[in-house]
Parts: sequence; C-alpha cells; structure tokens
Amino acid sequence: MKSLPRGRHGLSREFVVQNQLDRLLDSIAESLHEYGYDKTTVSVITSQARVSKSDFYRHFTSKDQCFLAAYDDAVERLRREVLGPCAKKDDWATAVVAALEAVLGFLARNPARGDLLFVEGLRAGPDVYARFQRVVHSFVCYLSDRAPQPAAGGAPGDCVAEAVVGGIASLLSRWVLAGETEEIEDRLAEITEFALTPYLGSAEARRIASRDA
Amino acid sequence: MRPSLPPEFIALHKRNRIMAAFAELTAEKGYEATKISDVVKRAAVARKTLYDNFSGKEEVFLAAFDAAVDGMASRAEEACASVEGGWEAAVEAGLAGLLAYVAEEPAMTRLCLVDAQSATPASVERHEQTMQRFIELARQRLPREGPLPETVDEAVVGGVAHILSRELRHGRAAEAPDLLPQLREFVVGQYRAPLTKGAGRGR
Repeated sequence: MKSLPRGRHGLSREFVVQNQLDRLLDSIAESLHEYGYDKTTVSVITSQARVSKSDFYRHFTSKDQCFLAAYDDAVERLRREVLGPCAKKDDWATAVVAALEAVLGFLARNPARGDLLFVEGLRAGPDVYARFQRVVHSFVCYLSDRAPQPAAGGAPGDCVAEAVVGGIASLLSRWVLAGETEEIEDRLAEITEFALTPYLGSAEARRIASRDA
Repeated sequence: MRPSLPPEFIALHKRNRIMAAFAELTAEKGYEATKISDVVKRAAVARKTLYDNFSGKEEVFLAAFDAAVDGMASRAEEACASVEGGWEAAVEAGLAGLLAYVAEEPAMTRLCLVDAQSATPASVERHEQTMQRFIELARQRLPREGPLPETVDEAVVGGVAHILSRELRHGRAAEAPDLLPQLREFVVGQYRAPLTKGAGRGR
C-alpha cells in the first residue's frame, strides 16, 4: 500500500488516520509472513508501513495489540469475501461451494493474511488460539443455516457442523504452513465433498463437488 | 512404620505426580506463567526430585505431553480391539475410549490438545507429529475402497481435535463422552459407502 503524498494534500484527518492504520495492518501481516513473530519489531512494522513510530503508538500500545488488530482485520476481510458470493446463491449446496471457493481464493491472493489467520492464530499463544476457535465457530452458520435434513435419521447436530468447519480449518492451516497457497484453489473439490457429505451422503456430495468445484 | 514400597514404584509415582501437577498448573494459568517452584509445591516433591527426573520446565511439559498422547492412543486402541464387528463399531469404541480419557484426565489432554500448539517450538512439532500419528491410524484402519479424497483422514482428525480442544478450553471435559453420537456420525459418515449406486465412492 502506497504512502500518502507529503506536505499539503487537502486530505481529511480521518482519511489520513485510517490510511495509516491500514498500512500498519498490512505491514505487520507481511512482516510476520516474511520474518516470523520475534523479528517483527515495531521498527520493522513502521518502516515498512512508512508510518512514524509516534503515529504507531497513537494507534496501538504495543506490537501485541497491533497483532490482535491485524488478526481481527484479517478475519473481517475473509468474512466479507465469504458473505458476498454466499448470499447470492439460493440453493444451500451451491452457497456452501461458493463460500469454500471464496475462502480458497482469499488464501491464494493473500498468503500473508492466510498465515496470520491459520498459522499464527494457532501458535501465537492461548489467547490468540481462543480467538481462532471463536472465528471457526462463527463460520459454522455458513454451513449449517438452511442445511437440508438427511432422509435417514435426524439432522447432523451442531457438533458435526463444528467438526466439519474445524476439520477444514485444520486442512487449511496445514496447507498454509506448507506454503501451498498457490495451488490451494485446486483443493475445492475435496473440501466440498468433505463439507457436504454429512448432509447429503457421500454420493451426492461427490457429485456436486465434481460438478461445481 | 509404614510398609516400604519398592523404590522404583515411588520414583515412578513421583514422576507422574510432577507431570500431573504441571498439567494442572498449565491448564490454570498457561505454560508461560507455570513456574517450577509451583509445580514442586503442587506435586509435593522436593525441587531436587524434579531436577533428578527432568532437565527443566520444557522437559516436564514434553514428558507430560507424551504421556497424555500415549494415554489417549492406548485407550482408543484398546477399545477398538475389544469390540467385535465391523469398522463402524471399532470407530465408535475408539472414540468412546478417547472421550473417556478426556473426561478422566482433563488437564493432561488439555496440555496436549490446547497448550502444546503454542508453548514452545518443540511442543508445536510434537503436536504436529501426534496429529500425523492419528491421521496414519485412520488411514490404516478405515475402509478405503472407493475414490475417497486423500485428505479425508487429515480433515477428520483435525475436526475431532478441534471439537476436543474447544470442549477442553471451555472446561467441559467431564461432558465430553456425551459427544460420542455426534462424533461417531461425523467420522463414520465420511467413510461410509454411498447408499445410492452411481458416481459415488463405491466399496
């Protein structure tokens, strides 16, 4: 993200502040991805973002606080990507495929934020891990809302839906950790089959996965 | 005078007490804040005893981790081996064994499934190896006659681990056995052959 022109530019104060914040959040994500948590110092973050240290401390009290803000920001970006295509589809299965496709697309285009969400989210300590689990939980509704009732037996319970989303999150973190984000979009069919199987049975899940994914 | 127990027995017992105390303290306050001085107090052993057994904090953590993994795996495997019937019954028994262990040893399993993910680089690696071990177990034991995706085992193990760590984080270990019907359905459903003929994964 480019820094703003120096000197008089006629931009509003709020615009400048928001732009600085966006640059800082971009910068910490990139820097974590490149150097890891320990080497991502406030100096590294601010120099990459072209923001002064005093401006950094106007936004955050510490690197940890900046990290959490970047984490939450990455979650919201991912959620926005998922919600758009998901809402456009009338049919439940097609909406789930669209949501999964959006997640993979996001990770392919934003490897640094993928790292932040799926690797650092697990490793940065118990508080961040708790946050990671809450995020996983908050995505369960995109699978379970409007889900069909299977012909035999009752509907898969909340725990099944959560296990499916948790299982997908665990696959994504393995792929992100292995640096496989470039090819990650090729994985759509297999995670689609995995997500739909509890609701539709494996034959139908596989049929949809090979048709739509 | 108390009848004397064999020294090896006492040594092993103390070792286990140290690991259990460590796991409890980690569950209460996290790995970072867990201090050796608190561990020896909780375990009621001398500081020297701890250092005779372990080189330091990380080694206690890793030993407790290994003990918890062995506990989970052996409970699951014994339960699997004790049932007659097909793979579905074995999955159910294995999960029941695992969930029973979680309910009995909340601190040890929490250390393994929650705290190890972020405690130290060695614990992160150990956590990953353990996931891999359970993935291999699923890969060997579960039916694979149709064209199942390669990653189904990873996804299933990841899903179960996610649920268990969520329950442990929320202090719901005692109720973990109640999750058996749903977890069984989650696992079995992924490997069950399609009911309809055609483009499914046949058996």
